Amino acid sequence: MRLKVNAKTHEVNVEDDMPLLWVLRDELGITGPKYGCGIAMCGACTVHVDGGAVRSCSLRVGDVSGEVTTIEGLGSPEAMHAVQAAWVEHQVAQCGYCQSGQIMAAASLLMVNGEPTDEDIDRTMSANLCRCGTYPRIRAAVKAAAAKLRERRS
Amino acid sequence: MMIRYAVVILLMASPAFAQDAGTAAWTAVYEVFSHPRCANCHVGPDNVPMWSGSSYGAKPRPHGMNTSAGASRIGAESIPCSSCHALQNSQLPHGPPGAHEWLLAPVTMQWFGKSSAEICSQIKDPARNGNRTIAAVAKHIEDEPLVHWGWTPGPGREPAPHSVAQVVEFLKQWDAAGAPCPAK
Repeated sequence: MRLKVNAKTHEVNVEDDMPLLWVLRDELGITGPKYGCGIAMCGACTVHVDGGAVRSCSLRVGDVSGEVTTIEGLGSPEAMHAVQAAWVEHQVAQCGYCQSGQIMAAASLLMVNGEPTDEDIDRTMSANLCRCGTYPRIRAAVKAAAAKLRERRS
Repeated sequence: MMIRYAVVILLMASPAFAQDAGTAAWTAVYEVFSHPRCANCHVGPDNVPMWSGSSYGAKPRPHGMNTSAGASRIGAESIPCSSCHALQNSQLPHGPPGAHEWLLAPVTMQWFGKSSAEICSQIKDPARNGNRTIAAVAKHIEDEPLVHWGWTPGPGREPAPHSVAQVVEFLKQWDAAGAPCPAK
């Protein structure tokens, strides 16, 4: 089957019921999305499908209906997405394992809410777990990224 | 013998019998509508789905992860329900259930925590049943795949009682009997 990931079309020979995360990591070597719980409860595997956040561990690849974006395709070291830049600025990551999922969830939130409150952030991000407890920095970075995106638009 | 049949036919035709048959049919409908597979997503204006039922645990609780489906009832304001609830049930223990769409019923159709009498009056009221006649409610149950998910909820979850066809039949019987509601 064909799968478009990070603006590149791939031909993959897999069963329809293989989770998208398996395809990304094991078939395509795209290892930014992480395996955490495997049942959509921790958010480490979060990627975008047509801009919306999805848990790639629980989405069958045969059910993917749009273009997939992973942390590798969100931005690059030379041209970071506003959320990635804010993560660096606020030094959010500690162990870093959950952070690609956190960033993808935050980027998705900012597409629908340009000025999120603490409550908006908590509503959206509470299903992205961080065992290091970086939540206060996550909140601050999401707000900084939102401000940056508003500045670019104005 | 003929007299006995005549008495039975007369009794069945009597308003009291029809009322009893209608009340029994409604009781069966209520068993379904109040079951966690239905009621957990028929919640109120806080837009928070519930986790409850014998296959869940001792006490009902709001959906974990601080989830809110928002006023859109699909999570469009924050993170869509479909972020985790894919097109099919997860086959893994405690994995997320899924269907072709995943959303909360409109606020006007709140059933969670409501009594049989309250839900009964809602179902008869087009302003609180999606602008439907009772026949249209039965048709909705007959045709809507997300409703049918209640009977195929995936591993580890108790299905709704009875069957789709039986609920449709119960609703028709209740309607034919004048749609009586319990006092409380």
